[in-house]
Amino acid sequence: MTKKQRALGLLIVLFPFVAFFVSLSIGVVHIPLDGVLKSLLSPIFPSLKQGLPENYLGIVLGVRLPRLLLALLAGAGLSVSGASLQALSKNPLVNEYILGISSGAAFGASLSIVIFRQSFPPQISAFVFAVAAVMIVLLISRNSDSPIVSLLLTGIIVSAFFSALLSLVEFFASPYALQGLFYWLMGNLGWPGWGALSISLPLTAVGTAGLILMRWRMNVLSMSDEEARSLGVNIRREKLMVIFLATLVTAAVTSVAGIIGWVGLIVPHLVRMMVGVDNRRVVPLSAAMGAGYLILADDLARGLASSFEIPVGIFTSLIGIPFFILLLRKSKRIWL
Amino acid sequence: MKKRLFVLVFPALLAGLASPSVLSTAQSGDLTVKDSLDRTVVIPAKVKRIVSIQSEITRLIVALGAGDDLVGIDYTMRLHDHLFKHIYPEESRLPLVSMAENNVNLETVVSLKPDIIFASPFERQIVDAIQRKTRIPVVALASLGDVSKLADEMRLVGRILGRERRAEELSAYFTGAVGLVRERLKDVPRDKRPRVYMSFWGFLTRTPIHYDPVEIAAGLNLAEKIIPDVLGSVGTMVKIEQIILWDPDLILVHGNYLPKERTVTVESVLKDSRLASLSSVRSKRVFYTFGFWNWWDIAEVLLETEYLAHLFHPDRFPEFDLGRRGDAIYKKFYGLDDGFAKLSAILRCDEWVHD
Repeated sequence: MTKKQRALGLLIVLFPFVAFFVSLSIGVVHIPLDGVLKSLLSPIFPSLKQGLPENYLGIVLGVRLPRLLLALLAGAGLSVSGASLQALSKNPLVNEYILGISSGAAFGASLSIVIFRQSFPPQISAFVFAVAAVMIVLLISRNSDSPIVSLLLTGIIVSAFFSALLSLVEFFASPYALQGLFYWLMGNLGWPGWGALSISLPLTAVGTAGLILMRWRMNVLSMSDEEARSLGVNIRREKLMVIFLATLVTAAVTSVAGIIGWVGLIVPHLVRMMVGVDNRRVVPLSAAMGAGYLILADDLARGLASSFEIPVGIFTSLIGIPFFILLLRKSKRIWL
Repeated sequence: MKKRLFVLVFPALLAGLASPSVLSTAQSGDLTVKDSLDRTVVIPAKVKRIVSIQSEITRLIVALGAGDDLVGIDYTMRLHDHLFKHIYPEESRLPLVSMAENNVNLETVVSLKPDIIFASPFERQIVDAIQRKTRIPVVALASLGDVSKLADEMRLVGRILGRERRAEELSAYFTGAVGLVRERLKDVPRDKRPRVYMSFWGFLTRTPIHYDPVEIAAGLNLAEKIIPDVLGSVGTMVKIEQIILWDPDLILVHGNYLPKERTVTVESVLKDSRLASLSSVRSKRVFYTFGFWNWWDIAEVLLETEYLAHLFHPDRFPEFDLGRRGDAIYKKFYGLDDGFAKLSAILRCDEWVHD
């Protein structure tokens, strides 16, 4: 690891922390830094509430904090999932949604929004169908001679199938339900409250931590199967574990934030371009970079327009793709 | 996909729509009209068989007393409209000719031999294609939330269907009642007009950027024109922080959803801890209103305008009673004694006004 790579790695680690605390001060309502800090600490030290304007607590604790925590963990989780699946499949084009998770989640949400209404919340329905889509992919591709190719192809097929089901539900949906679904599919970090996050965030954190802990094995899994076996690795078990954790993370994020594209594809590549291809560094740094990246994208989503809000999924693509193209042209190669 | 596109395109329609009008009448009696897409359409003198895949126009046709001339309607009207089966019980005999409004089964349409098709002004190419393939004149109309256009639309449809007198009677009733509200409230100074936030279309943060009934009822829409006019949108997503910053005097929640469909309710707004600092929440000034639903229903628009006028300025409309006035308006437009009572039972309007 060169000196430059080390410095870049340190910057990447600091990026989400700086972004998180700076972003707590960003919003339509101007809240000075001491107001933000007092509001944050007030649940522990109730005396700090004294003298604070009434709406500060609601904005910092009820609006900004859950949103930023979700951005932090969702960005980290999606990026780590993407990096892990790319290493596992030895394919740089793989992303966290390749196994049908997004289509499954979208279909699940559509069933809830259009048919079941409040009796089956979209978050739960999206999670259930995201996991179901991956299970179907795994079941279909389990006995193939070339498991990874089969896995990716099956993922594409299952995605297409759930997309068709989604179109069918959309076709029969009432105009109201269709609008709700449309906005859900665009991705938004601002809607989930503490109730939804209390389930989603721990699942995302556990899955992300699990993948980071497996970073040593990713290097082995990205070798050929024969090489990996010769090193004494139980390939099937390890791969299933990576897929399980990536699914858990992506489904947990998608179920509350909708589909936020490109994070898991772009971020790991950016990290590889900066610090090299060793997964022991790429996986944890992808978490840091992804967290900061999604916070930044969300800052733009809620900061660019003064009053109205633009879905964050639009910005993850708008920022990431040109930046990615720029780096790609500079480095003239795809890293894996 | 087309339907998803509709959701995108629909808000952008308002800015680009033309004002429909009659251009000329031929000696044969054929009528030449300009529709909302600025298309020139020639309509036969006698229109006796109508296909309507535009909900707003379907309701107007029934109000004009031409319901029996309908020979085909769309899926949305049958399955998603709250009141249509009550205002026009014979609707069950009508074949469905489209699923989503532009997914028209052209063979079914042709087999019904209509003299005219009323459609929504989504996209000129689609409307032109329907006309070209069926060889039946297609008129694309929508008022899109503009109260004055709604009255004009009533007259134009009346002219096309040869029901000018009834159309004149209803549009005069509508314009007169709206004018009365305006007249009673015209001297309300700006600082006495309630600053209103509307949570519409199933989201706390989704709101119309212009809403005629609020403006006529002398309320101030806090989200008025927060998106540049050039984008032509009717609604947008705002930030929760922006709602907190606005601190509205009153919050209106879209009540045209069936109670089981409502994802935002008066209760959920009142209980939302993020909104606890709002004066409207603390004083429980959170109410349902009808809201733009599956295009407009002319009777409902009038009722909503008067309801909001009473809600915003009770001292100027002390005599208003939602149930009684609703029944009178629905009787006028649809000839039903219990039209509003039925709608009220479906939407539970009796629970809307609370202290």
